[in-house]
Amino acid sequence: MENNSLFILLCSCEHEKVQMAAMIASVAAVSERPVTVFVSMGAVSVFENGLDPAERYRGQAFSNIMKEKKAPDAMELFAQGKMLGDLKMYVCSMALDVMGWDESNLIADLFEGPMGLTRFLDEAEKGQIVTL
Amino acid sequence: MTQRTKIDARGAFCPGPLMELIAALKLIEIGDEVEVWSSDKGSANEIPEWVAKVGHEMGGTEECDGYWSLVVKKAK
Repeated sequence: MENNSLFILLCSCEHEKVQMAAMIASVAAVSERPVTVFVSMGAVSVFENGLDPAERYRGQAFSNIMKEKKAPDAMELFAQGKMLGDLKMYVCSMALDVMGWDESNLIADLFEGPMGLTRFLDEAEKGQIVTL
Repeated sequence: MTQRTKIDARGAFCPGPLMELIAALKLIEIGDEVEVWSSDKGSANEIPEWVAKVGHEMGGTEECDGYWSLVVKKAK
C-alpha cells in the first residue's frame, strides 16, 4: 500500500510561509493523511509562548491582508490539526540549543518534543516532504 | 429521525469552515447531518472535495444571498 505520510519542514519565520504550513498540515491531517511538522531555524521563534499575533506574525504585503481580513490563526490551525486529525509537531533540537531555549519557551501542548535531523530524515523517507 | 446541526461559518476564510464542519461531524451520530453556511467561495468547493475523499455524503449545496449552504451527512 502506498504510504501517504506528509512531512512538512518549516524553516521560515515569515507569516505567509507559517500560514501555508499550518493550512497544509491541518487540511492534510483531517483528510486522513498522517502529518509530521518539523520546525527549525528561524521558524522556531514564531512558536514562542506568550506572544500576541502582532508580535508573532511578521511578513510582507499578504501578511497584512491576512491580518486585516482575520484569516484563521496559524497556531490555532496547527492545534485543530492535532485535535481533529493525525498531526504531530516536533521542534529541531539544534535550533533550541542555538537559541538557548527549552520546550518551556514554546507554545504549550503543540509539540511532541524535540527531534534531531537524523530521525526526521529517516522517518521522512517513507513519505512526501514539503519545505517552507 | 435524522438530526441536523447548523454551523454559521460566514466570515471565516478557508480552511476555517472545513475545520468547523469536521469538529461538528465528530460530535454527531452516523446518519445525522451538518449544515454549514460559508461566505468563502473556496470553502464551498473544498468541502465537497473533502467529503468525497474521506467517504461522507454530500446532502446538497445551495447558493444563497452572499453565502453557500452545504449539507454533509456523516457516513462513517
